[in-house]
Amino acid sequence: MSQTAEKHFFNDYLWHAVAAGMVTTAIAAIFLLAPMEETMGIAQRIVYLHVSVAWMGLAAFVLMAITSGMYLFRRDLAWDHWSRAALEIGWLCCSLTLATGSLWAHAAWNTWWTWDPRLTTAFVLWAMYSAALVLRSGVEDPHRRARMGAIVAIVGMLDVPLVIMATRWFRGIHPKSPHMEPTMRVVLLISVVCFTLFFTMLLLLRRSQLHIADMLEDLQAQAEA
Amino acid sequence: MVSKDLLSECRSLRVWPAMLLLGVVVAMMFAMQADLPPQQLRQIVGGLLWLTIFFAGTLALDRSFAAEREDGCWEGLLSYPVSPTCVYLAKLTVNVVALAALECVLIPLFAILTDLPLLAHPGPIIIVAILGNLGIAAVGTLLSAVASTGKQSSYLLPLLVLPMVIPLVLGAAEATRLAVEHDFGPSWWRWVELLGAFAIIFVTASIALFEFAVEE
Repeated sequence: MSQTAEKHFFNDYLWHAVAAGMVTTAIAAIFLLAPMEETMGIAQRIVYLHVSVAWMGLAAFVLMAITSGMYLFRRDLAWDHWSRAALEIGWLCCSLTLATGSLWAHAAWNTWWTWDPRLTTAFVLWAMYSAALVLRSGVEDPHRRARMGAIVAIVGMLDVPLVIMATRWFRGIHPKSPHMEPTMRVVLLISVVCFTLFFTMLLLLRRSQLHIADMLEDLQAQAEA
Repeated sequence: MVSKDLLSECRSLRVWPAMLLLGVVVAMMFAMQADLPPQQLRQIVGGLLWLTIFFAGTLALDRSFAAEREDGCWEGLLSYPVSPTCVYLAKLTVNVVALAALECVLIPLFAILTDLPLLAHPGPIIIVAILGNLGIAAVGTLLSAVASTGKQSSYLLPLLVLPMVIPLVLGAAEATRLAVEHDFGPSWWRWVELLGAFAIIFVTASIALFEFAVEE
């Protein structure tokens, strides 16, 4: 194995170990450190994962819009790799937000779904992410795909405050800032930090993968020419 | 460009009859399913009306650029000695007119089918309709240009536009419901302001982004 390959192998191994460590720490804190909630029991523990993925879903959307704007400004596909990686990770986090939110809602409110402002906003965000994924899958030219994806990302970002405003004007039942014991707050913080690092790592890996795939395509085109 | 598009539609009757027919059929289906007492019907009539307008109107939005591409007019359109902003504003105007034509049929039809006073105060309903049309057409025209570049333009457009116009559909539905209940207080104005803000934000943003959407 060459020195560069060895370095890459070590780096990858290190990244995977750190990612696994993050997830293990978060799960351990959720199940071993957090006290059992009196009324909801074990179902309350969903909150720790739910808040973490919800925050990442929104953060990835902001990152996607910013990097999309940078692509339109610079016309460098490296920015589109960021945007695309953020889109895919954001979609995953948004899907997890809806799934965990629904499970929690069933335990807390005895309903799988309700048109609460935050749930509606999460659903709209998920629908936007999904539409952007479908759009990207249908365009072959990388620059055209990047341009179209960027337009949808920017329009979607402008739409989010309006969605929040419109849905908030309806009566909501989502807890705004639920009362939590100090230990629960610590566990929530650990969970948010660990899952944020884990998904950031996934995002970085996906971005590198897209970058390498693009380089490979360029090399193939050069070899064929 | 506006008169070219309107004249072309008047001569060929390619989209508007289908759009109106779809609107009427969807309205009939909704009215059939929502056979409720007037008090309950008032709560949902705005949502049903605006969803019908959106789904039928998507046909017109979809043809804004797809027709140009299919008929080989795209290059001609781009080589027109006008800025992309003018092309966008022309297409936006045509779509606003198409949605207005649709509403001229659907609002009286909903009033007849539900027996609710949708036209008792035409002024507020017209304000909601104008702002609603502008918002849907602003987003729809831009995203129609985006969707027409892909392989799946026909089914992609509603998928792209519907999540974006959810605040607008919500606002228009609530403003219509309040108008039916003769409530023109602060909450009605709040929804109208939301519709106005939506229209201003997306017309401005679409003008800025349209150039990137039509770039070859």
